[in-house]
Amino acid sequence: MSEIYDIGYRHYDGPRLGRAHATLALAVHSLRGVFGLGRPARSKLTPFSLAAIMLLPAIVNVATMALIQQRVVQYSGYAVIMQAVVAIFLASQAPTLVAPDLRHRVLPLYLSRPVTIASYVGAKVAAMTTAVFALVAVPLTVMYLGELVVDLPGPPATGEFFGSVVMALALALLLSAFGLALASFTPRRGLGVASVITVYLLSFASIPLVYGALASTGHDDAASWAWLLNPFWLVDSVQSWLFGTPPHSIEGGYPSGPASAVFLVALVGLGLGALMLRYRKAAAR
Amino acid sequence: MHILATEGLTKRFPTVTAVDQLTVTVGSGVTGLVGANGAGKSTLIKMLLGLLPPTGGRASVLGLDATSRGAEIRRLVGYMPEHECLPPDVSATELVVHLARMSGLPRTAARERAADVLRHVGLAEERYRPVGGYSTGMKQRVKLAQALVHDPKLIFLDEPTNGLDPRGRDEMLTLVRRIGTEFGISVLVTSHLLGELERICDHVIVIDGGRLLRSSSIGEFTQATQTVTVEVDEGLDELAARLAAGGQAVSPQGRMLVVKVLGPETYDAVRDAAADLGLCLIRLEQNRHRIEDVFRDEVGAHV
Repeated sequence: MSEIYDIGYRHYDGPRLGRAHATLALAVHSLRGVFGLGRPARSKLTPFSLAAIMLLPAIVNVATMALIQQRVVQYSGYAVIMQAVVAIFLASQAPTLVAPDLRHRVLPLYLSRPVTIASYVGAKVAAMTTAVFALVAVPLTVMYLGELVVDLPGPPATGEFFGSVVMALALALLLSAFGLALASFTPRRGLGVASVITVYLLSFASIPLVYGALASTGHDDAASWAWLLNPFWLVDSVQSWLFGTPPHSIEGGYPSGPASAVFLVALVGLGLGALMLRYRKAAAR
Repeated sequence: MHILATEGLTKRFPTVTAVDQLTVTVGSGVTGLVGANGAGKSTLIKMLLGLLPPTGGRASVLGLDATSRGAEIRRLVGYMPEHECLPPDVSATELVVHLARMSGLPRTAARERAADVLRHVGLAEERYRPVGGYSTGMKQRVKLAQALVHDPKLIFLDEPTNGLDPRGRDEMLTLVRRIGTEFGISVLVTSHLLGELERICDHVIVIDGGRLLRSSSIGEFTQATQTVTVEVDEGLDELAARLAAGGQAVSPQGRMLVVKVLGPETYDAVRDAAADLGLCLIRLEQNRHRIEDVFRDEVGAHV
C-alpha cells in the first residue's frame, strides 16, 4: 500500500525568464484564442469556417489551372476580392482578444507581473496580425504550390506571389491595429464586433460616394484618392507601387504610390497609438 | 530586515489626497494594513508595485526603489486585487498556469506550480471547471493562487476576505496565516475589518485618510489595553463602589463591570471585594481588547 504524504509548501528555485518570454507566451496564448484552440468547439466554428471560405477560391483556382491551364485569380488581387471575408474575420475575432480582459478587469493581474502595457498591447497586435496574415497568406501559398505542381506554360509568377505575401503582412498589421483599437473601446464583445464591421462598411460604402462626387465634377485625379479610404485598396495601392502589379480598383487607378505608403504607415501608427492610449487609461483604473 | 519602507510617501489625485506623507517600515511576517474604505490602502499597494508614480516621497520594496525598479519588484512579489478579476470562461488551472508563465516561469514549471498552489489554497477537482461557475469563496482562492504561483518573496493581499461568509472568512484568514508562517512568504494584508487581522498578524499598521495613525506589533496593541469583565449575581453597585474605593478603574457595562487590569493585584482586589461583600461571582473574564477599540480611541483623539 502506498501512502500519500503532504510534503507541504515547496519553494520554486528554477529559472525565471524575462519579459520577452512572457510577451511571446501571451502572443501564442492570444493567437490560440483567435482560432478558438483550447476552447469549446463553438469558439472554433467562426474562425475555421471563415478560413475555409478564404481557401475555396484558391482551390478552385488550382483546379482551373490544372484543367484549363488558366489563372482565374491573381495573387495580387486576392485580398481585395476576398475583403468581406477578411473583414468579418477581423470583426468577429478581434473582440475575443481584447474584450474579456477589459470586461472582467484581468489587466491588473498582468500588470502586477513583468508584463508592461506595451508588451501586452504588442503581444495582442502580434497575435491578431499573425492570424489575419495566415488567413490571407495560406490561400496564396496553396495557389502558388498548385501553380508549381500544375506547371503552367511560361514562368511561375513567383515575384507577384512573394509581393502579395509581403503585402498580406502589411494588410494584417493595418487591420489588426485598427480592429483591436476599435474593439478595445468597448468591453462588450457584441458591441466590438458591431463597431469593427460598421467602420469597415463605412470605409467600403463611402468610396463610390466620394469617387462619384469628385469624378462627376471633373476632379478625376482627386477622385482616385477615394480608394485609399478602404484598407484593402489602400494596401493594394501600395502593392501596385512597390511591385508594379495592376491596380485592382473597380474603376480608375490609384494616386501616387509613395503617398499611399505614407498614409498606410500613418494609419498603422494611429491605430497602435489609440490602442496604447486606451490601455494606459484602462490600467489607471 | 525591512521588506518594505516608505518615506513621506504622498499620492494626490485631482480631487483627493489618497496617501499623505506616509512614513512606515514593515518587517517580515504577516503585516496588517487597516483602514476604512477609501483610507488609501489600494493606492498604497499600487505605488508599492511601481504601477502608480507617487506625487512625493519614496517607497522601497525588498530593497528596490518602487519608482525606478518597479519591474524587478513585480517579478518578486505577488498581488491579489480587491476587485473581481477572473475571466469566467477559463478553468482555474488554465488561468493560473497562464499567469505563472506571465511571471516568467517555463511551461512545465508553470504547470507544476499551478497544481501545487491550487492544492494549497484548497481547490480540488473543481479547478478544471470554468471559473464563472465558482462561489465567491472559490474565486477568492483562485485569486490567491495566482498571486502565489510564482513563489513570491512578498505578497500583497487586498481585502482577501471581501464578500466571504463567516466560515469562508475563517478559512481564508487561516490560509493567510499559513502563507506567512509555513510558506515563509511575507504578507501585507489589508482589511477594513480590524478584528479579523488581530488573529493573524504580527504587526499592524493603521491608516486613515491616507495618514499613518499607528504602526506597532500586535502585542503592543493588545497589552496596552487589558481589562477584566466581572459579573456578579446581584450587588453590582456595591462591588463597583468597593473596587473604586480600592483604587481600581471601574466602568459598569450593563449587568457587568469592566475593570482595567493595573497588575496582578487587580485580580486579588476583585476576589477580595466579592468575598468580603458575600457576592456570588458568576464570571471573571480577561478581555484582550480588540484593535477596534485602539483604533476608535486614536481616531477619537485625532478629531
